[in-house]
Amino acid sequence: MGLLGAATLLAQDAPLATSSVNINLPADSPIALLNISTGSSRTTAVGAAMRLDLNLSLTLRNIGNNRIHGVFLRVVSQEGALGSVGSVFQPGLNVGPGEAFPVHITTKLMRPSQMAGGPLLRVDLDGVLFQDFSFYGPDKLHSRRIMMASEMESQRDRAVLKGLLAQGGETALKNAMLKIKAREESVPRLQGRIVPGGHSMTNQAMAAVTPERQEKFAFVQFPDSPIELKQGSTLIAGSEARAPSIEVHNRTDRPVKYVELGWVLTDPSGRAYMAGSLPSTDPAFSLPGRGTSQVRQENTLEFSTNGKPLSIRNVTGFVSQVEFADGKVWVPARQSLDSDALLQQVLEPSAEEERLANLYVTKGIGALVEELKKY
Amino acid sequence: MRHPNQATLALHAGGDLGPFRRWMTERHLSHCGLCRDEVAGFTEMREMLPDLAELPEISWNRLAAEIKANVRLGLEAGECVRTREISLPRAASPAGWRAVVAFASVMVLVGSCMVLERPWPATVHVASTSVQSTKDGVQVQAGDGVMLGLTNGGARDVRYTMGAQGSMAAQYTDPETGLVTINTVSYAQ
Repeated sequence: MGLLGAATLLAQDAPLATSSVNINLPADSPIALLNISTGSSRTTAVGAAMRLDLNLSLTLRNIGNNRIHGVFLRVVSQEGALGSVGSVFQPGLNVGPGEAFPVHITTKLMRPSQMAGGPLLRVDLDGVLFQDFSFYGPDKLHSRRIMMASEMESQRDRAVLKGLLAQGGETALKNAMLKIKAREESVPRLQGRIVPGGHSMTNQAMAAVTPERQEKFAFVQFPDSPIELKQGSTLIAGSEARAPSIEVHNRTDRPVKYVELGWVLTDPSGRAYMAGSLPSTDPAFSLPGRGTSQVRQENTLEFSTNGKPLSIRNVTGFVSQVEFADGKVWVPARQSLDSDALLQQVLEPSAEEERLANLYVTKGIGALVEELKKY
Repeated sequence: MRHPNQATLALHAGGDLGPFRRWMTERHLSHCGLCRDEVAGFTEMREMLPDLAELPEISWNRLAAEIKANVRLGLEAGECVRTREISLPRAASPAGWRAVVAFASVMVLVGSCMVLERPWPATVHVASTSVQSTKDGVQVQAGDGVMLGLTNGGARDVRYTMGAQGSMAAQYTDPETGLVTINTVSYAQ
C-alpha cells in the first residue's frame, strides 16, 4: 500500500513558490534583498520523499558605505536533520555603495515529504568582505578566512598583471591572458568522492587486490612560507587515499590557528593532478610560534579522471594558506607558484585570473585595462 | 475461516510461491473474496514497479530485490522452524519424522549459508554518506538520495576541489551572471 501511495505522489510535480525559500539577512546587514526569482524551480514527489530543483536568482544591493569585494551565502535544508550544508561564494566583486549585484543559486535536494511547515530552503548571509579587509557576518563557515585568502590572491594576481601592463604594455597583458586561458584548458582535472572514515564501498574490492600502502609525502617548500613541511604520509590503495597526515613547523614567532596544504597526485605514467586541499580543521589544532604540530584528516578520498579510477603513485604537498592567530592570512607569492615545474603543471588559474581572462575574451583588451585601473 | 497471511498473498501475486503453497492459496482464494481483493491490490502494485524503476534518484530495483530476498529468507527460515505446523498424515511412520527433521536441518543449513554468503555489510555501506562531484555539480549523498546538491547552472568549464575534511567545491563562471562562483557542499559542521 505504501508503494501505491508513492506512485500516487509520483504524479505531483509543481512549481516552487517564492515563499518556499527564506533569505535570511540580519537587520544590520550591509546588503539588502532587492528581488528574488525562483524561475524554473520545481518540487517533485518521489515516493516518501520530495525532490527539489531550485533555480534561484537573487538581486542584492550594497546598502553600506564600503565597497564589497566578496559575499558568502550559506545554503541550508532541514538544518540538523540531514547533516549537510552548502555555500555559494561570489569572489571578485567590486560593488560600490548603493550598487546592485546578482547571485545565482541552483541546487537540488531531497527531503521527507511528511515534513510540515517552514521554508524548503534557507539562504543565510555568512559573510561580507569589504575592500579594506573589514568583515561582516556570523562566519559559521569560516567565510572570513576563505574570502580573505581569495582577496589576497586576487590582489597578488592583479599586481602581477598591472606590472606586466606597465612594463610590456597591452601586448604583454594579452599574452598573459592567453597563457591563463591555455592553462585552464591544459590542466588535468580530477573528480572524486569523499567518504568519512574507512574505505569507500566501491573500492573495497580494489583494496582487496591492491594492498594498502603507506606513501610518504614529497614536499614543495616556498622560501617565504611561514610554515615548513617536515614529514608526512597517507595510506594509498588503488585510486583511494586516506588518513593523510603531515607534520608542520611554524618558522615565525606568531601563533598560527589554521594551515591549509595543497596536495598533488602523480599516476604511474608521471602525469600529475591537483588533488585538493588538506586543511587543519581539527578544533584541537594549535601551532604556537616556532612550534610543531600535525595536520591530519581521517576521511577517505577516492579519485577518478575522465570517468576512470586514478592509479595513485606519488603524493606531493605544499603550503597553500596560513591564518595567524591575529586573523592575518598568508598565501604563496605568484613567483613561488610559477617557479615550480610540478605546480605549473597542475595549478589552475586563480578565481581572479579566470574572471579577468573571461573579461578579456568577452570584452577585449580595453575593458581589461579599464578593469585593472579600478583597483 | 483461516486466511493466508499478507506475505503469502503478496508472494502469490508475484507468482513466487512454491507448488504446494500456491495450490493451497488458490484453493483458499476460490472461495474468499476478501483475499482475492488483497491479491488484486498486490498485483496492481507490481504493475507500477516498472514506472517506479524509472526514477533516477532511488534504486527501486535493488530495494525490491533486497526486500524480496529478505521475505523469501524469512519465509524459508519460518518454514524450517515451524515443523509442528507442517500437516503430516496421522499415520506417519517414525522413519517419516526422521526425514522431516533431516529436511528441516538441511533447510536451516541452506538458509544460514545464504545469510553468510550474502554481503550484508556492503549493503549497509552503500547507504553511508559521501561528498562527491557529479557531471553537473557537487553534492552530499546518502545511499542513492541527494541530501544537498549545488549545481553549476549550465556552466561548462568547472573545476572541482576536494577538501580532505569532507567538502567538495566547484568553481565556474556563472553563465547567467558572468561572475565567478564557488559552490561548496560538506557534511554539517
